[in-house]
Amino acid sequence: MPYAPEHDEVPNPLRPGLRAETPPDPCAMVVFGASGDLAHRKLLPALYNLALGAHLPAAFGIVGVSKSPFSHQEYADGMREAVGKFSRTKPVDPEVWRDFGAGLRYVAGPFDEDDTFRRLAAQLEEVDRTRATRGNRLFYFATPPSTFPTLLKKLHEHRLIRPRNDSRFTRVVIEKPFGRDLASARALNRLVLEVMDEKQVFRIDHYLGKETVQNLLVFRFGNTIFEPIWNRQYVDQVQITAAEELGVESRGRYYEEAGILRDMIQNHVLQLVCLTAMEAPVAFDADAVRDEKIKVLRALCPIDTPEAVAQRVVLGQYTAGQIGGADVPGYQVEKAVAKGSRTPTFVAVKLGINSWRWDGVPFYLRSGKRLPKRTTEIAIQFRRIPHSLFGEGASAPNVLVIRVQPEEGIALRFSAKVPGERYRPRTVSMDFRYGTAFAGAPPEAYERLLLDALKGDQTLFTRKDEVEAAWKLVGGILGVTESPESPPPFSYEAGTWGPREGDALIASDGRAWRRP
Amino acid sequence: MTLGEPIAAGQGSRAELSIDFDEGFDLGKLQRMLQDARDLAGSAGETVSTLNLVAIYFSQAAYERARPALETAARVHPCRMVVLIAEAKAEPPAASARVAAVRAAGTVALERIVLLARGRAVRHLESAMTGLLLPELPRVVVWGGRPEGPLFQHAMELGDRIVIDSGTRPLASLRAVAQLLARGAPIGDLAWARIFPWQGLAAELLDVPSLREHRSRLQSARVVCAGDVGAEGALLGGWFATRVKRAKVELAIGSAPEVDSPVPGGGDGPPGDAPMAAAPVTRGNVVELQFAAPPVTFTLRRERSILIAEVKGDDDGEVVNRVRLPPETPGRLLSIELKLLSGRDELYAEAAQAAARMDLTRWTSS
Repeated sequence: MPYAPEHDEVPNPLRPGLRAETPPDPCAMVVFGASGDLAHRKLLPALYNLALGAHLPAAFGIVGVSKSPFSHQEYADGMREAVGKFSRTKPVDPEVWRDFGAGLRYVAGPFDEDDTFRRLAAQLEEVDRTRATRGNRLFYFATPPSTFPTLLKKLHEHRLIRPRNDSRFTRVVIEKPFGRDLASARALNRLVLEVMDEKQVFRIDHYLGKETVQNLLVFRFGNTIFEPIWNRQYVDQVQITAAEELGVESRGRYYEEAGILRDMIQNHVLQLVCLTAMEAPVAFDADAVRDEKIKVLRALCPIDTPEAVAQRVVLGQYTAGQIGGADVPGYQVEKAVAKGSRTPTFVAVKLGINSWRWDGVPFYLRSGKRLPKRTTEIAIQFRRIPHSLFGEGASAPNVLVIRVQPEEGIALRFSAKVPGERYRPRTVSMDFRYGTAFAGAPPEAYERLLLDALKGDQTLFTRKDEVEAAWKLVGGILGVTESPESPPPFSYEAGTWGPREGDALIASDGRAWRRP
Repeated sequence: MTLGEPIAAGQGSRAELSIDFDEGFDLGKLQRMLQDARDLAGSAGETVSTLNLVAIYFSQAAYERARPALETAARVHPCRMVVLIAEAKAEPPAASARVAAVRAAGTVALERIVLLARGRAVRHLESAMTGLLLPELPRVVVWGGRPEGPLFQHAMELGDRIVIDSGTRPLASLRAVAQLLARGAPIGDLAWARIFPWQGLAAELLDVPSLREHRSRLQSARVVCAGDVGAEGALLGGWFATRVKRAKVELAIGSAPEVDSPVPGGGDGPPGDAPMAAAPVTRGNVVELQFAAPPVTFTLRRERSILIAEVKGDDDGEVVNRVRLPPETPGRLLSIELKLLSGRDELYAEAAQAAARMDLTRWTSS
């Protein structure tokens, strides 16, 4: 984090003009849920890659905490295996691992027992001594949401959360979902802010760590040519698609609780809406960016009555079908899914934004499981030309597509003359592939976000008011769709783009979904 | 190093074509060859370029030594690379060209044109190169010779930026560079990029809350280089002298390096196989930076791939930081330098001029 001198302090004479990236301050990171899937697949591989790229301070240690009984060495061995399997860089570099692995510790114990936290505190002191981590702490809650209150309470009781103005920093990264509705999100926020300051809280949404999502800000506010047409005068509609081929796999229990609205719309998809629709921030810092995002969320047309839901929301649930040439089961027979479950696995939403820029421009959101392909994109469809010189229907509207995953990039669809033929236009696509233009392995989203958390940069993390505003919209929909009187979700065959009713939602406006 | 730089990016597909001319070049033929190379690479015609990278060498051997570094940098900064090899003293006069399009993930991300001229044919290199540059894009010149003379002057006029490696030249040549910088030359230097971690960690020490009080009392600094004083040591000393004007800065020679190298800096590995560990310490590399605000001394010491910072004379003598050195291969350093596509690095200009004012012929032993 850039250093700002205090009022009467002599400025650091060695700091001005340096081009070297400053590594984060020394730190001991504590991962709760250390034996879980997220730690294995994402967190430890991301931390290893940060070490590999020399982005971590050498004075760094990791303490894993979970119930499973491991020794330090067993835990380190397990993590090395996980890194070897899930890291984006292979094989594991033995020299880098030697230092990295030497900083791994493990504390076994239930989260609701004081003894676990006493041993954690002692372990952290040992890490401070042996790894010179100076008492700085980053706690990462890679655990189910039900454990968050307990973890906060115990950390507070054991004085492991130091005040913001302490010379040693304490930060807490909290995984999604942050609450399951507006009331629970507010309650959790209250609990969090009872024990620490908002500046110490890092609510993570890994979509914001993706390069293309960050590039959206550069694309919009680092160029002059797009902003003048980025409004209701030129834009006809915006479609945001977040589609997955996978079903719920082993996460049936979680998914039964969450459903697609909580799993995707409340966080990832609404963040994409914010970045697409927001005004230019006055500066590129955490609060300035988040101030503009919250304005978008507050301007969303509420969908909280049965009539509004009927007009603007379609829910679906997949049945058996085929994807990629293989048979896949329906949701109702997935592991840990209740028979007769009404949990939606697909949603289509027509969103309105009450603002000068976007009034009257529909934002169509679509997300689902067991759709034909894995893709996340934002498509800005511009208005048709007012008069076609080259024959009716000859010129399709321009579309700007921002691909978030896979093959991150930007494509612009426009009309060009077919060579040789007399003024016959054809739609062509100019394609910018992010990974190719800037060759090399882009960092995983978790790498970027963990590094930001270690540096104390909250720009890519969601603020309290953002979380609550997003829940206000989604909670309004859930309030209707989860009531007993609400009809069950429509069925759709796995491998299709959702139920027919989803097509009808947009067709009633004279438009059609893109086929990504 | 920036988050997301390639760690071990693979090679894309490539196709190289070559042609011999008599004494001059035929641009039309070269352009057609470039298109053929793109077709051979299997591209649908999409090309991504962020700059024109012009690399100038005076022997084929020098280019071949530098080639992995250029390709490493080109993977991070897609470009049209025009390599000029001027063997002015070779006979008989001859001109030849090699053209390649390197494709990665469906797009041509590197177009490389190597123009070799011998004897009188050297005079055609510049005009041939001018016709091959992509319009609008910044021009960065990588200069592989001594940073002096009319050709170098001309290269500076051509480029928005010119990148040298003063670490590969005798220390005295830093004076010539300093003079050019004083006249506003937009020079970048790989030797400067090599000392970024030292600068960052030194600055970090003075940001530690308990150590900030010493900022106003810095009096001296000492830079120790392995076996001999190299440009990076002089630049580090020069940087400190410009930042703390009252400080007395001394350059010193420490024990010989673990691995001897004809020039400081060492080389890149083969392209696509960039080593991840920091390069071994070679002759002229900085191994220690010590600065003092009596009674407190700040010592930054290199131990293989780790920079260790220690503070003594303060209330506690604990090790306050250790930083892993990033890989320091020329390719990676060039990638860092190419982030600045135009204009001057003022801090470097000041440091080089301060280094040139220091007595670069006398230093102490450590």
